[in-house]
Amino acid sequence: MNQIISQNGQNQAGGMKELISFRIGAQEFCVDIMAIREIRGWTAATALPQSPSFVKGVINLRGAVLPIVDLASRLGFESTEASDRNVIIVAQIGEQVVGLLVDAVSDILTVTDDVIQPTPDVASETAKSFIRGLIAMDGRMISLIGLDRVLPDMELEAA
Amino acid sequence: MDPLAAIRETFFQECEEQLAELESGLLAMEGGDQDPETINAVFRAVHSIKGGAGAFSLEALIRFAHVFETALDEMRSGRLAPSNDVLKSMLRAADVLADLVRAAHAGDEAEHPGAATLAEELRTMSGAAGAEDESEEDWGDFEFQPMAVAVEGAEAPAAAPAGFKVAFKPRADLYAKANEAALLLRELTRLGHAEVELDAHDVPPLNEIDPEAAYLSWTVTLTGDADETSIREVFEFVDGDCELEVTPLGGSAESEGGEPAFDLSSLLARVQGDAPAEAAPEAPVEAFEPVAPPPPAPVVAPVVAAAPPPAAPPAAANETAAEGQAAGGPRKTEAGATIRVDLDRVDRLIDLVGELVINQAVLAQRVMEAGLARASAVAMGLDELEQLTREIQDSVMAIRAQPVKSVFQRMPRLVREVAAMTGKPVRLVTEGEGTEVDKTVIERLADPLTHMIRNAIDHGLENPEKRAAAGKPAEGVVKLSAAHRSGRIVIEVSDDGGGINRERVKGIAIEKGLISAEATLSDEEIDNLIFMPGFSTAAEVSDISGRGVGMDVVRRSIQALGGRITISSRPGKGSTFTMSLPLTLAVLDGMVVSVNNQTLVAPITAIVETLQPKAEDVHSLGGHARVISIRGGFVPLIDVGMALGYRNEPLPATQGVALLIEGEGGARAALLCDAIQGQRQVVIKSLEANYRQVPGVAAATILGDGRVALILDIDTIVTVSRGDMRKAG
Repeated sequence: MNQIISQNGQNQAGGMKELISFRIGAQEFCVDIMAIREIRGWTAATALPQSPSFVKGVINLRGAVLPIVDLASRLGFESTEASDRNVIIVAQIGEQVVGLLVDAVSDILTVTDDVIQPTPDVASETAKSFIRGLIAMDGRMISLIGLDRVLPDMELEAA
Repeated sequence: MDPLAAIRETFFQECEEQLAELESGLLAMEGGDQDPETINAVFRAVHSIKGGAGAFSLEALIRFAHVFETALDEMRSGRLAPSNDVLKSMLRAADVLADLVRAAHAGDEAEHPGAATLAEELRTMSGAAGAEDESEEDWGDFEFQPMAVAVEGAEAPAAAPAGFKVAFKPRADLYAKANEAALLLRELTRLGHAEVELDAHDVPPLNEIDPEAAYLSWTVTLTGDADETSIREVFEFVDGDCELEVTPLGGSAESEGGEPAFDLSSLLARVQGDAPAEAAPEAPVEAFEPVAPPPPAPVVAPVVAAAPPPAAPPAAANETAAEGQAAGGPRKTEAGATIRVDLDRVDRLIDLVGELVINQAVLAQRVMEAGLARASAVAMGLDELEQLTREIQDSVMAIRAQPVKSVFQRMPRLVREVAAMTGKPVRLVTEGEGTEVDKTVIERLADPLTHMIRNAIDHGLENPEKRAAAGKPAEGVVKLSAAHRSGRIVIEVSDDGGGINRERVKGIAIEKGLISAEATLSDEEIDNLIFMPGFSTAAEVSDISGRGVGMDVVRRSIQALGGRITISSRPGKGSTFTMSLPLTLAVLDGMVVSVNNQTLVAPITAIVETLQPKAEDVHSLGGHARVISIRGGFVPLIDVGMALGYRNEPLPATQGVALLIEGEGGARAALLCDAIQGQRQVVIKSLEANYRQVPGVAAATILGDGRVALILDIDTIVTVSRGDMRKAG
């Protein structure tokens, strides 16, 4: 178990971590709550030309231009047909603020680091680059997502 | 930032101001300004830098500033005539001083290559002017005669310990410059064992006290190894603002002990009107207590620090306390009342006001949608709100506006350097330095201007022989001017050189494959060739302008600011580069258009005209490539929806509206949109802050309905649509 703790890096106050969990289709995911700035309803986004398919566009967040990433599409699932029932999780990734389009926010989990199990060795590159660990809870599986790779790679795609 | 670092930062900021003052003063003198206030201002600038440098122990800076100051003092006192040669050396000295300040700011301890020789030059100058003055310790402001220190001290009775008696009487000026006697005395106590004695004889009754005057004096008996020089060093920065006497102990004995010390009770008694003021002598205060300053000092010092003495000219009120400390006297009255504000705060305010404007627009739209009459109280209140928000926006934008002076004043030095390198005598004339423009614009102007001025001297001006042959004065003139013109700032760089050699320019362009040999070009088009990437007219790459960056880089940086650059040239008379720039980078006048249900904004500065394409004017060149004929000429017709990937099939030209635009280098194109919604001033929002650059999109903005609209990057759209065929050719 020590190995897992070191893999997860930060050891917050006695190894306790707060995670926010959300649904995309039938799957459950979670992210570190410290990265989350706010949660808001869906508003129509302005499409951006020449952008990857998972970038839904940009919206106005109190004067700032906020890109919206369709997390389902980003993780390799069917892209979301956004409606009023969808939710945008506004997250801070490094210096940037990004909106993540998900189906619904479900819960706040308080877990210790040792609950987070390492991602099994699967072939999917997508899984490898986004999923930082798995949490088993009440018979459900919740994947912990690392946000640092969510935005498209600047160096690769910058014109 | 810790407090000392903050003070240090302020010092360097002020140094920049002093350096600017120094240079403009010297230039004014070079131009024949005889006003003694000018030389005083120049002198004060150097003096202040030296003073501040002393506080931070910047040795190299102090040494050079001192020599410089000495020379300036000679000039100030009239012993050194401000001849042209002298002023030229002084200007070079100012450049070196600026280098030293910057080196000190960067923490660079390396020896400045030119400093030593120039210091020698200055020393020779001041030495030649005032041979009697050889003292290294002449700090310019001396008003007391240095004592002839006899070695009597050594003959003092063996019982008496080595030491000095220091008589120190501050003048009001000392406090006015925010110096503090207590600190000086504390400094003195560090040199050895000190007995400090206060003389409060001169303190008048309370009702007669002038809070800004100085009444106290001290006698310090200092024993220890300290020598006279180190004692005098303590008072280095209050030179001239105090009476100071340093006598070796055991020398002439005078006024021992028996002086009355400050006695508050007797003073109070005097105020109450009785009791003759005869205070009883008191024992000297044992070992001066550094934390508790002598009684009246806290009254005097803070008052002075907070408010300037009423006697001082009103301008003094504008000085910050720190300046008051450093400056050798009241500064020129032209400095307005200013405060320093962190740029981030201003930008935050501008952002907020931008949001306010958007919110106000959203609100207005909602009210309209709600079907309220235009004359209703709500609608009228909204109108007033709109006016107010616009006014607030304008005022906030004005905070960021600064005179172009800050970039113009870097140019004289550049001109001197380039003139020296090329051996061409050059005079720089500047105009409209007070023209205001956004700070960011100013900052980003420095590089293109530097490059253009270098070019003007290196390529524009002929050498003196050619000038003589052409009947022009040997000294070339480079003119730099700024002016406001219809909501933009126009900056011109012109020279009175030979103008553009069109034959040669065309030859080079053909040789480099930039144009075909058969191309017929107008004079204007030839002139504009120098902006082409990969064009450089210098036959041999020179040190000055041939640094791998050409005029194309200049043009790109001007365009990045939303500006345009044009050239006009007359053979034998010279060339003029004209740059037109927006006053601010925060707002933009835009044409709001819709394309495939998306709302887009096109910068109005690029739009020449709008037109409704007629079927007979549009011709297909195969594929999706189309041209439109406008008054006999053909320009490419670009479908914006296609260029941005919003649709795959081009819009039939007759169903849309075309914006005729002039992009990079005057190339024209027609952008086909679905419809025009209107013209609006929009607040520019960065797309890169949270995302990244998108090809074809310059930035984003927020419209009245609260939605994000993209601002078109017209040049990229034109370039992308041109495809690879033109890029390769």
